[in-house]
Amino acid sequence: MTHRFRLIVIPAIVLALAGAVTLAQGTLDRSKAPAPGAPPMLRVPAWTRSTLGNGAELVVSEKHDLPLVSFTITMSGGYNQADPAARRGLADITAAMMSEGTRTRDGEALSSALQLLGTTVTVRIGGESGTIAFQCIAAKFPATLDILADMLVNPAFPAEALERLRAQRLVALVQARDQTSAIASRVFPRLVYGDAHPYGQNVTEGTLKAITRDDVVAFHRAYFRPGQALVTVVGDVDASAAKASIEKALAAWPRGGEKPAFQYPPLPASRTSTIYLADKTGAAQSTFAIGIPGPPRSTSDYYALQVMNTILGGMFQSRLNANIREDKGYSYGVNSSFAFGKGPGAFRAGGDVVAAKSDAALQEFMKELRGIRGGRPITDEELSTAKDALTQRLPGTFASAQSINNAIVALWTQGLPDEYYQQYAARIAAVRREDVVRAARQYVDVDHLVIVIVGDRAAIEGTLRATGVAPIAITDIEGTSLQ
Amino acid sequence: MRNRIVLLVLAVSAAGAIAVAQAPPSRPSALRIPFESYALPNGLRVVLAPNNVSPTVAVTVWYHVGSKNETAGKTGFAHLFEHVMFTGSGHVPYGVHDRLTEGVGGSNNGTTSRDRTTYFETVPSNYLETALWLESDRMGFLLDTLDVQKLNAQRDIVKNERRQRMDNQPYGLVGEIVSNTLYPASHPYSWSVIGSMADLSAASEADVKDFFRLYYAPGNAILSIAGDFQPVQAKALVAKYFEAFPRGAAIVRPSASPVTRATETRLVYEDRVQVPRLVIVWPTVGKQSDDRFALTVLDAITAGARTTRLTKPLVYDRQLATTVITSQDSDESAGEWRLTITPRPGVSLTQLEAAADAILDTLKTEGPTAEEIQRATAGLELDFVNGLESNLGRSLTLADGLGYDNDAGSFQTEYQKMMAVTAADVKRVANKYLAKGRVILSVVPIGKVDMAAKPSESTPYRKADQ
Repeated sequence: MTHRFRLIVIPAIVLALAGAVTLAQGTLDRSKAPAPGAPPMLRVPAWTRSTLGNGAELVVSEKHDLPLVSFTITMSGGYNQADPAARRGLADITAAMMSEGTRTRDGEALSSALQLLGTTVTVRIGGESGTIAFQCIAAKFPATLDILADMLVNPAFPAEALERLRAQRLVALVQARDQTSAIASRVFPRLVYGDAHPYGQNVTEGTLKAITRDDVVAFHRAYFRPGQALVTVVGDVDASAAKASIEKALAAWPRGGEKPAFQYPPLPASRTSTIYLADKTGAAQSTFAIGIPGPPRSTSDYYALQVMNTILGGMFQSRLNANIREDKGYSYGVNSSFAFGKGPGAFRAGGDVVAAKSDAALQEFMKELRGIRGGRPITDEELSTAKDALTQRLPGTFASAQSINNAIVALWTQGLPDEYYQQYAARIAAVRREDVVRAARQYVDVDHLVIVIVGDRAAIEGTLRATGVAPIAITDIEGTSLQ
Repeated sequence: MRNRIVLLVLAVSAAGAIAVAQAPPSRPSALRIPFESYALPNGLRVVLAPNNVSPTVAVTVWYHVGSKNETAGKTGFAHLFEHVMFTGSGHVPYGVHDRLTEGVGGSNNGTTSRDRTTYFETVPSNYLETALWLESDRMGFLLDTLDVQKLNAQRDIVKNERRQRMDNQPYGLVGEIVSNTLYPASHPYSWSVIGSMADLSAASEADVKDFFRLYYAPGNAILSIAGDFQPVQAKALVAKYFEAFPRGAAIVRPSASPVTRATETRLVYEDRVQVPRLVIVWPTVGKQSDDRFALTVLDAITAGARTTRLTKPLVYDRQLATTVITSQDSDESAGEWRLTITPRPGVSLTQLEAAADAILDTLKTEGPTAEEIQRATAGLELDFVNGLESNLGRSLTLADGLGYDNDAGSFQTEYQKMMAVTAADVKRVANKYLAKGRVILSVVPIGKVDMAAKPSESTPYRKADQ
């Protein structure tokens, strides 16, 4: 039996001592927050741009405080450009297949070589861009780069690996049905964008089963091309030596390719706000996803929307979380965001809510969405806090080789100028309160919301209906209407 | 702008030059970052690690209290208390903490483990004094403004956290079931950090106040600051805000030890899942034993990469499983080595258990190869360096060292010991710890207890409370 301490005896002593604190504090006035010193200068690291022999763009930024290197090749375009609707999941499977061996190294040899270098090369293809990347100890950079080049240029794509990766993904799809949040992340985009828009298309059992090895080979050949690639290396390297190593390692990567156009089909006609209730029997919490298509990253309203969303749901003390989590205690956390892609990325507010408070939480969500449109005036404090939070977080983003690399890549994928980070604070400062309200009225369209709630229908349907917020449509856990 | 600051002396590659390719892989002899540690007269231990790569500073306050300081019937208390610490204090109204951290471009959070509770913020460097004002106020004056409404609000949020992380999460109760089973009920690791719903409901305002007075005193705390500051100035600020607080009473710590179990315990738990899962946990050792390093290397050579002992045959060659995960958790008072396997459709957990046992038996007989050790330690080396790159990672690492080892620089020794692990060490710990006294838990879909590993020998697990 372990010893049990007693809590009761000791506090009296501490209490007595605590009395002395106030006296000893004497001159220190704790009643006001200390004034911060002058804000630190934004130190954006320097980088150099050039072009490789095969046409890929190259950016190098030296950082020598730790012997680490972050290396990334970013491809413009992602599964929304490259996946056929009937073969959703092809980009993801192709990315995974690139770790399954090359013409001279089988999957095990590849894995073993990378382990001995202490690292892994990750290949990921997202919605509108993809990366093949690693982070390593500086002395191991050339050797790791050689392996990445082999994976990029000479993948073997063994047929048995395709079957294994497919089978793993089929199991993962089944497991996604167990979690309300995973269900919502499939149902919400499908209902917002529809099956005809790439943003609304999901990977399904059918699309996974349709993928062939020939598809993988063709995808790789068409997608991984230097003409649509940015190579970035940040860390403990010498810029010219790094460029020479990269030229040598990527010499066999043939020229060609160009950035995709990012053309999307028109959005489905907007519909009157509707609650889509996807039944997950026995769920202790309901997942909320409330939203609508938003503007692309290129919108001139970007800065106003950043400030608006920071007030609404971007931070811990933003209106949504302050109300629904902190004040009401309905949730462990709720938030809102804009996806800001090349196309009409979604505005989405949501989170997980205790089942018994689904109706009350819905009303609070709607109250805050109406409020930000002018129903509840934005205070000076809200406006200045949002702006401070956005601009003062920038210096900290250049702390690690990896985060500097990400910052450089973001300029390229989002089509921003090199001076973007230096200009950012002034752009945010220029946002006026009326800009914020106008942006909210335009983009938080409360009359045409898709309100996805994944939860225990038997427990929550009646009370949701009683709120009168919007009509209810019942769907299955894929978002297909059941009525 | 070019970064010219080279304050850090990180002797990671002794070879340094790239050209020495033919030499055997060189191991760094040391991993160094500049820091100094000292104590205030009231017992508050302080560590300062200047690093001006970016104009930010991370402040961690580490309290030596976790769920192991709780008693049965009052579980979840340390973590509930962590939430209360964000509700404002004597001179800091509710909301100001977020306003002056996240609201100025920084971030803040807190974490509770079995052994300790940490609070941390990263802020622009001109807000260092503000962060110290915030942290000192809740160390010195939390109870001035605490009332039952604040407590109740946080209690509801913590219950939602429990729902989100555990009750509504597929396989989310595995950790709690394992803790309940692996340790005897008298052991403070036998309950989960988040605690039971019933105990959370029962926590009173008086409990919270007593807990604060005992554990949230300078003598039980560490202040760790990493980032862009001048040490002389930081020391003056630390003294200004913290030195007047009384040390606090002596704390009697629970005398928890690693456990050994003579026999196997076999359980089945029905969960709202579609795919079953097999979890096997062996009691090992925590921070009190250097065996944890060999157990960590054992973990790295057993599962993960495709050449590893279990992953290669189970996921790749025979394709019985979709995932195999192992881990060695080294807590302050005990440790656990865990194996988690998710089967491919049509493969039984009984079959997976037998296959995994056969492979582990071979490993115990043969021991690992030299190359397996090399692969494992190369990855662990990069993990060590990465963990020290951010100011927050640095402040947490240094605080842990001071808290657990009374040496902020103990990560250096840990690094050396990890890199020095041999094949013989791994073979020895595999035989010593991966023994009979394990817990085997099958998580199966509701109504499918026959999907358990050896179903006829498995006892249904029932939650202690609801």
